[in-house]
Amino acid sequence: MTCARRTAALFAALLIAVAEAGCSNVERSRDLANTSVPGKVLALQICSNCHGVDGNSESPNFPNLAGQTEHYVIEQLSSFRKHSRIDPAGFEYMWGLSRHLTDEQIKALAAYYAGQKIRTPNRPTGRPELRDAGKAVFAGGVPEKNIPPCATCHGADGLGNEQFPRIAGQHADYLVKQLVVFQRTDERPEGAIMKVIAHDLTRDNIDSVASHLESMPVGK
Amino acid sequence: MRLLLAGLLGLMLVAGEADALPMFARQTGQNCVACHAGGQFPELTPYGRLFKMTGYTIGERTLPLSVMGVASYAKVRDTTKTDDPTVDFQKNNSGMFATGSLFLAGKVTDNIGAFIQVTYDNYAGQSVGPDGGLGKFQSHSQADNMDIRFADRFIDANRDLIVGLSVNNNPSVSDPWNSAAAWMQYVPNASPTSHQFVDGAFPGFGSGGNIAGANAYGYWNKTIYGELGLYGTANHAASFMSAGINNANRTALGGTNPYWRLAYTREWGAHNIMVGTSGMTAHVFDAGSDTSDLGNRGRFRNAGIDSQYQYLLDPHAVTAQVAYMRQTQDYSANTMAAAAPTYFLADGVTPVASPNPSDVINTFRAKLSYVYQAKYGGSIAFFNLTGTTNTLNQTSGFDSTGLITTADPNGTNITSTRVNGNLSGNPSTRGFNYEGFWTPVQYLRVGVQYTAYNKFNGASSNYDGFGRDAKDNNTIRFYIWAAY
Repeated sequence: MTCARRTAALFAALLIAVAEAGCSNVERSRDLANTSVPGKVLALQICSNCHGVDGNSESPNFPNLAGQTEHYVIEQLSSFRKHSRIDPAGFEYMWGLSRHLTDEQIKALAAYYAGQKIRTPNRPTGRPELRDAGKAVFAGGVPEKNIPPCATCHGADGLGNEQFPRIAGQHADYLVKQLVVFQRTDERPEGAIMKVIAHDLTRDNIDSVASHLESMPVGK
Repeated sequence: MRLLLAGLLGLMLVAGEADALPMFARQTGQNCVACHAGGQFPELTPYGRLFKMTGYTIGERTLPLSVMGVASYAKVRDTTKTDDPTVDFQKNNSGMFATGSLFLAGKVTDNIGAFIQVTYDNYAGQSVGPDGGLGKFQSHSQADNMDIRFADRFIDANRDLIVGLSVNNNPSVSDPWNSAAAWMQYVPNASPTSHQFVDGAFPGFGSGGNIAGANAYGYWNKTIYGELGLYGTANHAASFMSAGINNANRTALGGTNPYWRLAYTREWGAHNIMVGTSGMTAHVFDAGSDTSDLGNRGRFRNAGIDSQYQYLLDPHAVTAQVAYMRQTQDYSANTMAAAAPTYFLADGVTPVASPNPSDVINTFRAKLSYVYQAKYGGSIAFFNLTGTTNTLNQTSGFDSTGLITTADPNGTNITSTRVNGNLSGNPSTRGFNYEGFWTPVQYLRVGVQYTAYNKFNGASSNYDGFGRDAKDNNTIRFYIWAAY
């Protein structure tokens, strides 16, 4: 080993030793295997990267979590953790992140997001006629196909209740993709009830109800 | 090679099927698409950029090893107009294991993470054969990109500040955007000369890599990114950053060599954009020269602007990149003192103009890519390099009999070959690069690239003085790129 290599090895070893000595920093940690990191810290340091610091995500690739029911977030994180939710968008991103979460961390994450304020678009998005058609499905269902109104379980304001998630103000793109998952696959067994309901929805039904929900006023 | 094979074998033994992914994916447990736009590594998503800026510390410590390999095949359009095809088109029209890398990377502590790449080149050199000609290819491994970080993030409802320190060996390798010089070229190229025309021109920093830098950076409210760095020679304690390179070939820097980067970013819906600028001043000694003699020291000044736009909404990934870099090179005093007009004008009597002590090169590159379902992708890129004309850069010209030659009539310079000949002394090179690829599984990519030139070394036709045209260098390349 040359002198330079020895110095480099020593330098690296020293760096790691110094780093190890003073750096379990649970208040600003991004360690997903350290069960002592509070759920809120994980929400800010990691989840915020996609879901936004307050649970309002910028990209429709990732669902809004602000104002979500605690029950629903706990159920989803648990099903990611035990690999029972297997839709690609879910497992590609969430299986790994949730694999070592403790029940306490999951509860804290759910409480954090349930307490965040929902931000909705300043202006309604999508075409007005599409939103109107979606509003009719949301409030009245599709009677000729015996499809019940979304409002029956998710609430007249779409804010959800226990296992029925908040859907008001959710990204339309995310809602469409998840309705398709429910309708065509068994990848979300905890949401099996939605498979029955979504079974006879047409693509127009799905697009319109998603458009309505994205722009639905909340918190008023 | 043995090192790589051992690494690969080791990984296969310890990694179960579910974890059979490169180290960062094992660390977060996520699919490649979480960090790489449309799965097209190394281009990063907004999340991937934050993963990098927070020091590769998201997730858990895991086996910090990965391997990457590229198998490649290239064919240059014309291989007849050459002095020696065995020199100018090594391995043309034949498949080969082009290059491989071993990565040591991942989370070390809550604040420290690393990305260390060592690259094996199967064709790094060629021995002298028994008859004095070219012999067998010789392989070589050396330090490639390295980026060791300390990062912290102060985030709450009202602010989000990421700060960090990167110790790295390549200007802009620390950058999270893929329009930065170190990251705009995606597929690793191979060193045999059959691959010399793959991709065309890229913006870059004059200092090159395998130097040692310490950069401090900050990212405020996902809006403003700033970075300042200082670079020096990668020797003494930092010699691991130029491991595998001997003293004579290691880039030697002198004086203060600052690097800077400023970027504005915005995300709206599925769209995100970055507009940025970067630059560097590097005082570089002539290769292998005596660093105690400042007369051997030249200077590169780089300043560039770049921008990247992404639209990422499953199953679509669209990326547009634009980068422009202006480089001013001041040659060392000793280079200029030794420089004398080598060639003659066509009359064979009048020497060409005296060499200029400095050159300017402007490199522009724009690329548009699309990936569907993180599986099927394609891109088109335009490159345009322009610069000053300087007889110092002429590698072919007229001799005293009025004939064009690639040999130096004074016998003082290395003989050039026609394919790399430059009759004009101007570096202008322009063309397009087309690519199509398929990612059947997330850690394997199969692709084809076609690079078409309409200008090379200052001319569209007869750029070497012997009838070789820019389009003769058009090259098709097939590759298989895997990471494990």
